[in-house]
Amino acid sequence: MAHIDCSFYSTSLKKNAHVIVFIPTVSADDYLEERDVDYYKEEKRFPVLYLLHGSYGDCMDWSRFTGIERYAQEKGIAVIMPSGENSSYVNMEAGEAYLTYITRELPEFMCKMFPLSKERKDTYIAGLSMGGYGTYRCALERPGYYGYAASLSGALDRNVLESADMPHMKKMPRSYVNAVALEHNSDNQLEKLLEKRLSEKAELPKLYMACGTEDPITPSSEAFYKKAKELGVEITYEEYPGVHDWNFWDSHIKDVLRWLP
Amino acid sequence: MAFFQVNFFSPSLCFNTDICVFVPTPNSDEILNHKKSDYFKDGAKFQTLYLLHGAYGDYTDWFRLTGIERYAQEHKLAVVMPSASNSFYQNMYKGSAYLTYLLEELPEFVTKLFPLSKKRENTFVAGLSMGGYGALRLAFQKPEQFAACATLSGAVDIVAVKRDTDKGTIDGPFCWNAIFENTEPEGTQADIFELIKRDKEAGLPLPKVFQSCGTEDFIYPINVEGKKAFEKAGIDLTYEEHPGIHDWDYWDTHIRRVLDWLPLNNDSVEEG
Repeated sequence: MAHIDCSFYSTSLKKNAHVIVFIPTVSADDYLEERDVDYYKEEKRFPVLYLLHGSYGDCMDWSRFTGIERYAQEKGIAVIMPSGENSSYVNMEAGEAYLTYITRELPEFMCKMFPLSKERKDTYIAGLSMGGYGTYRCALERPGYYGYAASLSGALDRNVLESADMPHMKKMPRSYVNAVALEHNSDNQLEKLLEKRLSEKAELPKLYMACGTEDPITPSSEAFYKKAKELGVEITYEEYPGVHDWNFWDSHIKDVLRWLP
Repeated sequence: MAFFQVNFFSPSLCFNTDICVFVPTPNSDEILNHKKSDYFKDGAKFQTLYLLHGAYGDYTDWFRLTGIERYAQEHKLAVVMPSASNSFYQNMYKGSAYLTYLLEELPEFVTKLFPLSKKRENTFVAGLSMGGYGALRLAFQKPEQFAACATLSGAVDIVAVKRDTDKGTIDGPFCWNAIFENTEPEGTQADIFELIKRDKEAGLPLPKVFQSCGTEDFIYPINVEGKKAFEKAGIDLTYEEHPGIHDWDYWDTHIRRVLDWLPLNNDSVEEG
C-alpha cells in the first residue's frame, strides 16, 4: 500500500480538504515472498472504498486506530478517507457542503488523480457511527453511483438516536448541532429518503449494516433496518457482541470487506 | 495544487520511503481572482519536475524552505520530491540503490499513481548542491527520459568534490567508502563528464542543462570549472551566476529562474 496524505483546495467546501488515501502497491511481503502482483499493470483500475469517520474524528482515524491498510491490501482495493468534521456528511445549513463534497467533488478529484475504477460495481462506501449515517446518506443521495454501502454502529434513525444514552450526543455543542440543522431537510431522514428513492424506482446500492449488542446506538440502527425491511429493501444486518469502540470497528470492517465482492 | 505526502515500500531500496508530490489543481487564488483554472480535466496529464534535495536533507526540504508550490502552480507543473539520504544519488557500494530507485522505480511508480506525463519532452529534473549533481546524473544516465536538467549550486564535478572533502576544504557528510567501492569516481559513470562522453559515443539525445551558482558560494570555483567542461563537451548550457552563497535564499530565488527556463507550456498536456 502507498499511504498518501492529500491536501487540496476544495471548491465545494471553500477551504483546504485533508484526505488519507491507500492505493495498493508492492508491499514488503509481496517482495519477500516473490508474489506475482500486477499493481503496475497498464490500465489497472482499483475498486475503491470511501471510508467515513465518526463524530469527534477526522480522516486519520481509520488508519490510526485500525488495520484497514493491511485488510485493504489483502483485498487489493483502494481506500479513501476524507474528513467530515461533525457534519453528519450533509450540506450544513450554516456551514460546509459536505454531502456535495463527498458525493460529487471527492470522487471526481480522486478518479482524476489516481487509477481508480469508475464503475458502480467497484464503488463502495462505508463508515462508523456518524459515518454510518453518512454512508447511507451519501449512498441514497447518489444511488446510481455507489454499488455497495456498509454502516457500522450507524446513527441511522435520528429520532431514536435522540433518546440514546451516549456522551456523543450530550457533549456535542448545541451551536454545532444548530449549524448542521439536520431536521431542516427531510432528505436527511434516511427512512424518508429511502421511501423517496423507492418511489422514484431508483436502483439502490447493496446495503450492509452491523452493530454491537452492548452499543447504545444499536436501537437507532435497528429502527432503520426495520423500516427498510418493511419497505421490502434488501439489506444485510449482523449483530455481534461489542460496544461503541475501535475494537468493534477494527473487527467488523473485516466483515464489511468480506461482504464486498 | 494538491499536496500529496506518499509513504510506500520501495523494492529497490528495501525499506519504506517518503515522497512529496504536487499536482496542479484549481486553488483558491485562481477562483478568487478569476484566473485560468480549466486545466484540471479528464485525461489531463502534467509536465513533471523531479526535484532533488542536498546533503543533510530529505524530501521535505524544498516545500518547507521555498515557495516551490506557488511557483509550480503558476506554471501548472507537477513536482515530485524524493529522499536520497547522503548517498550522493548513487547505487551505494555499502548502502541502498538510490540511483536505481530514482531512475527506474520512482518514475514508474508516480506515473502509475498520478496523472503525470511519461514523455521525455515533459520530464525534467533539478536539484541543489548534492541534488544538483543528482539532477545531472539522472539526466545523463538516462538521457532518453529527461529533456532538461538544472543544477543550483551543484556539486557538478564529483571528482573535485571528493578531492576537496578528502582534503577537508569542503564539508560533507559523505561516507565515500560506503558510496564507492575503493575507487575514485574519476573515469566512471559517476563522473558526469565521463557519462556525457559515453552518451555522445552511444549517439543518445542529450538533455539541455541550466547551471546556476552564487559567486560567494564555496562551490563556485567547481561550477566555474564545470561550466568550461560542459561547454567543451558541447552541451546546450544556460549558465548563470549571481551574488549569493550556499543557502535557501539563493535556491528559493533561482528555482524560479529554472521554471522560467524549462520548456513549460503552462497547461496540462496529453488530452484524452
